Amino acid sequence: MTLDKVSKDIRRTIIKMANLSKSPHVGSALSCTDILTTLYFKVMNITKPINDDRDYFLLSKAHSAMALYATFLQKDFMTQKQIDGYYQNDGTLPAHTDRDTSDFVEISAGSLGHGLPIAVGIANSIKIAQESNKVYVLMGDGEMQEGSIWEAAMLAPKLKLDNLMVFIDHNNLQGYGRATELVSFYPIKDKWESFGWEVYEIDGHDHEVIEKVAKLESKRPKVIICKTIKGKGVSFMEDQLIWHYYIVTDEVKEKALRELI
Amino acid sequence: MRNTIAKEIIKKAKEDKRLYLIAGDAGLGVWDEYQVDFPNQYINPGVNEQCDIGFAAGMALRGHKPIFYNIAPFVLMRPYEQVRNDICYQNLPVILIGTGSGITYAPAGHTHYVVEDIGLARTMPNLDIFSPADPIEAKKCFEYAYKSHKPSYIRIPKSGEKCIHTNKDIDITKPQIIYQGKDNILFVHSSIVDEVESIISFLKEEGVSITIATVPMLSTSYNFKEILEDYSRIFTLEEHYANGGFGTILMEYCNNNKIDKKIKKFGIKNEYIHKIGNRDYLRKYYGIDAKSIAQSILQELL
Repeated sequence: MTLDKVSKDIRRTIIKMANLSKSPHVGSALSCTDILTTLYFKVMNITKPINDDRDYFLLSKAHSAMALYATFLQKDFMTQKQIDGYYQNDGTLPAHTDRDTSDFVEISAGSLGHGLPIAVGIANSIKIAQESNKVYVLMGDGEMQEGSIWEAAMLAPKLKLDNLMVFIDHNNLQGYGRATELVSFYPIKDKWESFGWEVYEIDGHDHEVIEKVAKLESKRPKVIICKTIKGKGVSFMEDQLIWHYYIVTDEVKEKALRELI
Repeated sequence: MRNTIAKEIIKKAKEDKRLYLIAGDAGLGVWDEYQVDFPNQYINPGVNEQCDIGFAAGMALRGHKPIFYNIAPFVLMRPYEQVRNDICYQNLPVILIGTGSGITYAPAGHTHYVVEDIGLARTMPNLDIFSPADPIEAKKCFEYAYKSHKPSYIRIPKSGEKCIHTNKDIDITKPQIIYQGKDNILFVHSSIVDEVESIISFLKEEGVSITIATVPMLSTSYNFKEILEDYSRIFTLEEHYANGGFGTILMEYCNNNKIDKKIKKFGIKNEYIHKIGNRDYLRKYYGIDAKSIAQSILQELL
């Protein structure tokens, strides 16, 4: 199966989950689907059953958990039954991740700015143990407004964490508008570079480029600014703020799925 | 207590390579030798407490046993959400050690006091809370926390506190009677235990007898029923806000267990401390020095 087909299937699952659960954040999930697809299918060493040699993936923008769960379904890390219990009463999966729900969910998260400090701890622990696991973090661009991100950004290069890689889902649409209209986090590249990180800017929907950059060796912690489109893959959701919150009705679902064949 | 805890950490660091000390740019001199002896088990990450707690959680997720050491407000209050989400929600074996319990650092100003930390710590399930009254209790609390594989918060004053226990093998999960009297009992925790000797003698002069018990572990599900049965009047004394600390814990316990005893809580008035003076001065100001407490107890017994 091509990666395009895989990410399309993951997007279909996201639409169905959002519809069944009547939960928000469908735009956020679609925004990072290609990053997740590439990492789980082409880059990271994470297999079932989970083992100590695995790479670590931390979803810091945990409001995109639907994308993670849908990727897990595609990887056979989760069952359809678990997916169907998303956001339900007496359900299986919450809107923001709880690591008690699955071995593959590395952290309980949801409040922004928590993933990177935890990842720095994991990466440091791996370095001390002289092991070769890698740590991948996916964060939102809005998260860069959190102070804790910059505390961790300062610490990681000091610890020479060349096993740490951060993907920023840069769709420039946060909860209530564009970062450029709220509190701008620009320039992104210069900020991270000045903190001592290796920085790349790529198209966050191009699987080949994501894979290539993720596999580049680096002596420093690496940050990959992924230019993305919120709601990617469903034309009427693309770059539309409302799909941070709007509910996928039956009608919307059908319309969206028709675009994802 | 600080030196006792430091000694215990050094001992454990030798035995257990998983121990990892994160000293948040505090404790000048305390870790000088440690960082030379255990370079792979130490970091001073600077002044970045939110990150430190997440960092500790990440280390614990991989099987390390992190200890975060800092001045108490920066252990629990500055990074409250990280302690809640990253450590307690994920139930990770991280030990938080906060120095300067209560108003130890007076007149540093309110930012450096921790007079509400017990109330705050109690809001987090999974978190064990320790407030040792002497170096022997501090050692036992640390040992317990280290073995527990749970999140722990140990609040200590500073260094130089006297040993009050003669028996070194105490069970910190239970109240420890350090002076046996009758009719009345006073529970204390942390450094304010240094007032009790005078309280006992003030009361003795007035013909009043009182038992003194310390409570090193505040999160215990200990059955207080038995100990309370022997006393008609119950008092609590702590260098913490009167509302929200151990006194409140004990009142809730009695209420939940239908124990009909009158409890009088002594502590710092729930207000921001603008008054300037050292710890002893502020204890007097807030009426929690030995003399004031003895007088208040006598008033209560009238």
